[in-house]
Amino acid sequence: MTSPIKPPEGNWWDQPVNRRESIWLGLGVGWALVLFGWMSAFTRIGDQNPIGETYRVTSEELRESVDAFKAEAEERDDGAYVPPGDDIYVVGMQFAWDGLPVVLETGREYNFHLGSYDVQHGFSIRPEHAYSQQINLHVTPGKEWIVPMEFDEPGTYHVLCNEFCGEGHEGMHGEIYVED
Amino acid sequence: MAHRFDVFGWFDNEFDADGFRECSVTGFNVHRSVEHYVKLYGVTAVVFLLVGGLFALTVALTRWETVALLEAGDYYRHLSMHAWSMLIFWIIFMEIAILYVGGPMVLGRKLPAKWAAAVGYAVMLLGAILIYYSIWTVSGDPTADNAPLLTAYVPLEINPLFYASAIVFLVGVTLAALPFLLTIWFEKRANPGKTLPLVTFGAFVASMIAVQSILGGLIAFGGALAWQFGYAPWFDAGIYRQWFWIIGHGTQQINLVAMITVWYLFTHVIGGAEVVSEKVSRTAFILYLFFIVMGAAHHLMVDPGLSAGWRIWNTSYAFYGATFASLIHAFTIPAGLEAGRRKRGKGGGLFGWLTSAPWKNPVFSTSIFAIILFGFLGGITGVLMGQLQLNMSWHNTFATVGHFHSTVVLGTTLTFMGVVYFVIRTMFMREFVSPKLATLQPYFYASGMALTALMMMYVGILYGIPRRTNEVVENIPGTDFSIQGAAPLFDVFGVVAVFAIAGGALFVLLAVGSLLFGKRIESGDNDDLVADGGSAEPRSADSRALEARDDLAMAEDPEDPVHAYEMRGTFVLCLIFLAVFVVAYVLNWYLLTQLWSIGA
Repeated sequence: MTSPIKPPEGNWWDQPVNRRESIWLGLGVGWALVLFGWMSAFTRIGDQNPIGETYRVTSEELRESVDAFKAEAEERDDGAYVPPGDDIYVVGMQFAWDGLPVVLETGREYNFHLGSYDVQHGFSIRPEHAYSQQINLHVTPGKEWIVPMEFDEPGTYHVLCNEFCGEGHEGMHGEIYVED
Repeated sequence: MAHRFDVFGWFDNEFDADGFRECSVTGFNVHRSVEHYVKLYGVTAVVFLLVGGLFALTVALTRWETVALLEAGDYYRHLSMHAWSMLIFWIIFMEIAILYVGGPMVLGRKLPAKWAAAVGYAVMLLGAILIYYSIWTVSGDPTADNAPLLTAYVPLEINPLFYASAIVFLVGVTLAALPFLLTIWFEKRANPGKTLPLVTFGAFVASMIAVQSILGGLIAFGGALAWQFGYAPWFDAGIYRQWFWIIGHGTQQINLVAMITVWYLFTHVIGGAEVVSEKVSRTAFILYLFFIVMGAAHHLMVDPGLSAGWRIWNTSYAFYGATFASLIHAFTIPAGLEAGRRKRGKGGGLFGWLTSAPWKNPVFSTSIFAIILFGFLGGITGVLMGQLQLNMSWHNTFATVGHFHSTVVLGTTLTFMGVVYFVIRTMFMREFVSPKLATLQPYFYASGMALTALMMMYVGILYGIPRRTNEVVENIPGTDFSIQGAAPLFDVFGVVAVFAIAGGALFVLLAVGSLLFGKRIESGDNDDLVADGGSAEPRSADSRALEARDDLAMAEDPEDPVHAYEMRGTFVLCLIFLAVFVVAYVLNWYLLTQLWSIGA
């Protein structure tokens, strides 16, 4: 009985399986293990992982941290902050990125403190010289996510918001200047 | 006799004294109550497809910034209307119809609890209208009243009426699904120990995933309301996201299982396919039941506050349990067609079974295009973007939109268009107003939509174009920067998107035109639908009821098992699929490793 619209009769469980079908099942299991194994291994051996410590934080606390960062940072003529240490802040708000613009050095690892004062935002960053190099992380209010990043290439990196955050979302933009 | 309100003669098929008639194409014993509700839900779904299609046009013409049709505020409202019309209303109204086909119609039973089908319909309709109202009346004040889009993410300020309406809609769906669940209950009580037909089994798995999704949705929308009214200050963005995606992704998994069920049905009825292994196909459905709800985590891959272990475990559906299930169906459905057609003597050589298939029949071609395009475009990209690290280059880009237009439109909508064609021919008993255009429409729509989805993915991955924005290529308000480099590709996108929408409009015209003006089909006229011409004979001279055809009966010959027939064509196709999968996987990882270093 092999009609999908009739109840199969007899012992259908023990019907033989075509040899090519069995081979395909084996390939499927093998591929599933590769997919899992590589993703898991890459968290140990890879350089690109969306992993970092997260802390619960209120909007007020976060704003205080960002203000303290700005006070300590040197402010250049173009308004960009030169961070005093390895920590920088990129915090979303309707409709701007607080903590930007910022000046970073190539070859130095910075802790990006990502967060939001109000609603959900999308941290979407790409250098002006290569659009295809882009990274996207989600930020939510109430969480401060510390993700390390180290840039190899100098240039202007543009941060857009790619989660809808209200009318005005389309203009939410910030810049990071990476210099040698 | 037609009811006096039935001005179009849509509900006037002849049934016997017990209210049954036998379908000349499928051999189903169809009860009046089942058929009427399938028609009601199906026709309503097409209306929502029309509404969603109008907004598809305005949304596409806005993203095509050379045209830039809408201002930001209007764009977000139109996008919300498009999302809810297509992803929720069109698809779920169709799915209720499919549950009624897969359950009572296949099993030859009456629709139990008809009141629930009627009340469920009314409540769903009410929910949909309220959702439309709450979207359309949005003021757009960012701190008070925002467009919900599909996701209505807490803590964005959104009209509480919206969340309440979504709950109303979910209650309606639950009621509408009740007659299906009761059918299964009664069937198992009446025939303990008898296995359900595969199609019914698939529909049942879809309904169980629906239960999981509805529960997730009630918690998400209920929690959002409680948070808005101050009862649950702890209900934050992270919690909402997790519960929302139980329904947000779960509903797409209902689509997946429902359309796979339809593929088994149509390849059999129209193409002469058989089930090559009940054991393997049913195991795949069971894998979905256990693992696919974990796919909700695909949306949380680059969220803060979730451990890498939790994300890897969930996004991989526990070692890719659900992906494996899809790989199984990717083989068993074409293999069923290949072996079944070889058995009928319709398959010489490697691909003779495929080239001789009824490609002119839109009920068949919609399903086959859906299988191919869903697999190659939607399935592969879904696994890619569902990998923890690759998600960083996909999350919330236009490529994501390309992915789900490949799964939901090229897969589900295309398949469901075939279901509508099938219902028009076998239940409304109407000829298509233009059989030629009906043959062409799936080619038209599938090619246009496939190119559209490809362009979305291309600009999303290679240009990092964000989703959910009306301005990014020509201009970004407040800065000199814009992603101007993507403009030529967006011109291609705009043209193919309009082409695809025209293909969708043609479908609505054909469906509505056939229902209103199509020639009524008399007994025996449906033979062209049947696999290889069929051989339906009227049971008696004065009856529309027909004997089941000989060739579907072929599937019931235990002396000629289908698993013994060749499946080498399918095997080759599946190997090509796997090769494309591997290449796409390697390419995506290559692109990712070209990036600066990120992550602890």
